[in-house]
Amino acid sequence: MEKKWYEKNGTDGDVVISTRIRFARNLEEYPFPIRCSRDIRQKINEKVKDAVLNSNSVISSRFSCINIDELDPSGKVSLVERHLVSPEFISEDQGRCLLLLDDESVSVMINEEDHIRLQVMQEGFELDKAYELASRLDTLLDERLKFAFSDKLGYLTQCPTNLGTGMRASVMLHLPALQATKAMRKISENLSKLGLTIRGAFGEGSEPVACMYQLSNQITLGISEKTAIENLKSITTQLVNQELNARQALAKEITVQDKIYRSYGILQNARLLSGEEALNHLSNIRMGITTKLISSISLDTINRLIVETQPATLIKLTGKPLDSAQRDKIRAEIVRKEFGIQASQKK
Amino acid sequence: MLCEQCKKNQANTHVKSIINGEVTELSLCSSCAAKMGYGNVFDHMFDIGSMMSGFMGEPMASALAQERKCPGCGLSFAQISKGGRVGCAKCYDVFYDRLLPSIKRIHGNTIHTGKRLRKPQLTSGEAAVQNAAAEKIAALSQDLKNAVANQEYEKAAKLRDKINELKAQNGGV
Repeated sequence: MEKKWYEKNGTDGDVVISTRIRFARNLEEYPFPIRCSRDIRQKINEKVKDAVLNSNSVISSRFSCINIDELDPSGKVSLVERHLVSPEFISEDQGRCLLLLDDESVSVMINEEDHIRLQVMQEGFELDKAYELASRLDTLLDERLKFAFSDKLGYLTQCPTNLGTGMRASVMLHLPALQATKAMRKISENLSKLGLTIRGAFGEGSEPVACMYQLSNQITLGISEKTAIENLKSITTQLVNQELNARQALAKEITVQDKIYRSYGILQNARLLSGEEALNHLSNIRMGITTKLISSISLDTINRLIVETQPATLIKLTGKPLDSAQRDKIRAEIVRKEFGIQASQKK
Repeated sequence: MLCEQCKKNQANTHVKSIINGEVTELSLCSSCAAKMGYGNVFDHMFDIGSMMSGFMGEPMASALAQERKCPGCGLSFAQISKGGRVGCAKCYDVFYDRLLPSIKRIHGNTIHTGKRLRKPQLTSGEAAVQNAAAEKIAALSQDLKNAVANQEYEKAAKLRDKINELKAQNGGV
């Protein structure tokens, strides 16, 4: 089976794990989701489904429709862990539908906060490519669905924070060296002046788990899609360079090398691994690979393990309900197997 | 990160304001955020409500605020500001003036400059006004020609001024 975008390493993949473009759109003829009855929501489901599946696009036949209410809890959460839907989307049974492309790079959430949340994901740093695809699909869908649009305010959305372009563009960044050198706070303060924002991709604490960050545009009105993307691109490029320089310097320190090789030992031998522990060690290994300290495992595999070792995705993979202790055991087995295989193949 | 106000609780609300291009940012815990009035994006709208009641007298302002409902979704402006969510596309039209301050506060801008699939359309009212003006100008121009041909220069000058005035009013139709 062909690899999904989250199982691959892409452009500038040392630092940029993935790129996402998301458009918020609403159908002109219906009220926004908070004011829609279940019947109307059902109608919107059908209309959008029809428009996507029968659109004049080469990929329209590769979409499948997932009724969220019919999924078991781990099936729902796994969609979030794979970054295919927002946590909000699976929060309630409201007759919501997801249209998902076979390679999981395009998803259309119907009846989330807006009637349509169209999302394109790509591995690595691919803002232009992701925007092109998203915009093309958006234009095709507008022909059939007629999106709510005002000359002054642009695309009209349920929450005014998305007015205008309705676009959220973001990159997921792995920044272990900038986090270790305490540079993140200063960076995030400066970003807001450019209408960008950065936050931890995993975990709620003050320090993001596994040094994963999400950088995205915040302002959608009065700035064109192109300008917003250019701003995001230029800051990402700067962060990539700063991170790589800081990594080179850090990798010479024996304490840092020790941390990376210890993580390697743990992932190769541990019999129990919690989700957060696995993520943190995988983050160290990622840094080890990009600084050429570790060569026996690929970034593709690490990216895949980061997704596969998440609790709900783990349950989905094994096809069995697992409690937390069972998950820790299976998680350790999956990781150990990868580290064992790749290490022995290299020899 | 700790709340910048009380320096005790974990900050979970980030407030950014852009006023005349000056950006200020605050990280706050939920209780400090609520105290400082950053509960939801429309909260400060109640200030506008009370300002209006100052101008118009309490009963009239509150009657107006209560009665006007969006024909598209049935929400009143008070309901929108309470929920922080707009009910439908028409709300943006109906409550445009009252939503604008929040929109400006969020984005620092009020005019869309991005993707546009359809050409700007005039409302039927605007189009009718423009058509009427264009017809009138055409008629006056014909009179002007006749006046010049008949060497009625005083009349021609008056007609010319009238045409220019009409053109200016209608953005150079």
